[in-house]
Amino acid sequence: MDIESFVRERRPRWGRLEQLLDEAERVPDRSFDPNKIQELVRSYRQACSDLNHARSLTADPVLLERLNLLTGRGYRYVYRNTRRQGLREALIALFFREIPQTFRQESLRVGVAAGAMVLGAVFGFVTVLVNPHHARDLIPAVFFAESPKQRVERIEKGEERITGVEEAASFSTMLFTHNIKVSFLAFSLGALTLVGGAWILFYNGVLLGAVAAQYFQDGVGTFFVAWVGPHGALELPAIIFSGAAGLRAGQALLMPGHRSIASSLRQALPRVRPMLLGTAAILVLAGLIEGSFSQFSAKTIPYSFKIAVAAALFILLLAYLFVGRGTWSSRAR
Amino acid sequence: MELARAMNRNEEDAAVVLTPEHVPIRLNPAGLGTRFWATLLDAFIVMLVVTVLGGALMAVLPGAISASVMMVFAFVLKWGYDMYFEVRRQGQTPGKRLCGLRVVDRRGLPITFQQAFVRNIVRVLDFAPVFYGLGALVALCDRYGRRLGDIAAETLVVQERAARRDLETLSQERRFNSLREPRVLRRVRRLIGLEEREFLLALCARADRLKPEARFDLMEDVGSHYGRLLGIEEAGLSAENLVRGLLAVLYSESL
Repeated sequence: MDIESFVRERRPRWGRLEQLLDEAERVPDRSFDPNKIQELVRSYRQACSDLNHARSLTADPVLLERLNLLTGRGYRYVYRNTRRQGLREALIALFFREIPQTFRQESLRVGVAAGAMVLGAVFGFVTVLVNPHHARDLIPAVFFAESPKQRVERIEKGEERITGVEEAASFSTMLFTHNIKVSFLAFSLGALTLVGGAWILFYNGVLLGAVAAQYFQDGVGTFFVAWVGPHGALELPAIIFSGAAGLRAGQALLMPGHRSIASSLRQALPRVRPMLLGTAAILVLAGLIEGSFSQFSAKTIPYSFKIAVAAALFILLLAYLFVGRGTWSSRAR
Repeated sequence: MELARAMNRNEEDAAVVLTPEHVPIRLNPAGLGTRFWATLLDAFIVMLVVTVLGGALMAVLPGAISASVMMVFAFVLKWGYDMYFEVRRQGQTPGKRLCGLRVVDRRGLPITFQQAFVRNIVRVLDFAPVFYGLGALVALCDRYGRRLGDIAAETLVVQERAARRDLETLSQERRFNSLREPRVLRRVRRLIGLEEREFLLALCARADRLKPEARFDLMEDVGSHYGRLLGIEEAGLSAENLVRGLLAVLYSESL
C-alpha cells in the first residue's frame, strides 16, 4: 500500500478518534457513554498500528507528528489513573489518617531533621554563651539595634503592640504566608540536594540558639521563652517537618538504590504530600498565635501562663502526630 | 523506521515512550522561550483575577478581616492555580494552552496530584534569585529542558506543535522561488513520483550527518539530474538549494 492511499483511507478514523478524545476530555467520566469509551479504545489501538505503519511508509514529518500527537493523546487518556475522591472524604482522610500516619512512618527522617535543628541551636547557644562577641558573626546586624534588656523594657513599658482584631488578622496572615513559603524552600532544598535541607534547618537552629543566649545573658530569658514559645512550639516543628519531607523526596531522587528514580519517586511523592499539607496547616495555626497571643506582654498575660500554653500546644501536636494506632504500612498493606 | 529516525533532527532531545502496544511515542520537550511566554501569561491572569475578585471581596467584607482574607485569597490562588489546572485540565494551564504546551509525566501519562503539588512547590527554588533564574539555568543544562520542579516530580513540559517547523527548516523554502513558475511546477508534479519524493525528504533529513564531500557529491548528482529533468537553467543556484527547493514545492500542500 502506498502512503497516499493509506492516508486517504485512514484519515476519517483519525478524525473520529480526535473527536472522541475532545469529548472525553470535556465530559466527566460518569456521564461518558460506555459505547463511546469502547470505540475510543478501539480507535486508539488502530491509531497505534497506523503510526507504526506510517513510519515505515513515509518520512513526512507533518503526517508523522500529527499521528504521534494523536496517539500520545489517546495513550494519556486510555492509561491514565482514574481514582478520584470527593473533596470532603479526601479532607477527612487527610487530617485524621494520612498526616499523622505518614509522620509516624517517617519518624526516622523527622528525627534527623529535628537533630539538625537542635544541633544548630545548641551550637549557637553555646558559642554565644562562651564568647558574646561571636553573636555578631552569627546573627544578622538588624538584631543589634538595641540590647535584649532594652527591648524587653521598651515592650513591657509601652503600649501593647497589637490592639485590634484587624491588626492581629493581617499580621498573622502575613506571618503564615511567609512561613509557608520558607517551609517550601526548606523542602525544595532538601529534595534536590539533601545536604541543603539539613543545612537550612541547622542554620535556623544556630540563629535561634544565638538569639536565645543573648536574652539569657542579659537576664531576660523568661521573656524570650514566653515571647517565642507559644507559636514556636508549632512553628519550629513545622519547619522541621517540611525539612523531613524534603529529605524523603531527596532520598528518592538522589539515592534510589536498586530501583529507577521514577519508581522510587512514585513511592515517595504520595508521602510528601500529606507531610507538606500538614506543615502548612500547622503553620497557619502558628501564624494566628504569633500574630495575637504571642505579642501580649506581661501586663496582659503573665509569662507563666504563656509558657504553659506553649508546653500544652507542643504536647498536643506530638500527641496528634505520634500517638496513635498502628502505622500506614501495618494497616493499609 | 530508519527513515523516520533520520528525519528527527533533534532525535536525541526527544523523550521516547513505549506504549503497551509497543508503539514508540515521541515527547518533544518545550523550549525555554515558549515556557517563558506561558509563565508570563499565567502570571498576568493570576494578577488580573486577584485584582478584580480581590477588590470585590474587599468591598463586600467588613473591614476587620478584609485585608487578611485578601492576602489568603492571593496566596491560595498563586500556589493553587497551576496545581488545579495541571491536574484537572490535562496538564494545561490557560497560559500553557495558548502556547501549545502541556505538562506530562515522564511516561507520557497525565500528571497526578502528587506530582503537580511537588513541581509547583519547588517553584519557590526555581524562581530564585530573580524571575526563574535558577530554573532557566537548570533547564538549559538538562537534556529534556526540565526545571528543578520537573526533576523532583519526574515531569516534563512538552511542545505540541513542532512538526511544521521541522519541515520548514528542512526545505528552507524562503530562500528560493524560481521553481514557482507554472511550467516547472507542472513538470514537477507530473514527473516526480511518490518514491522519489520520499527519497528527497530522506536525503535532506540526513544531509547534516554526511561528510561535507559526500554531501556535496550526492547533492550535485541529485541536483543535476533534476535540473536536466525539469529543464531548469539557473546560474548561481547550488545543487543543494535546488533539492531543498524541490522538496518545498513537493510538500507545499502539507506546509
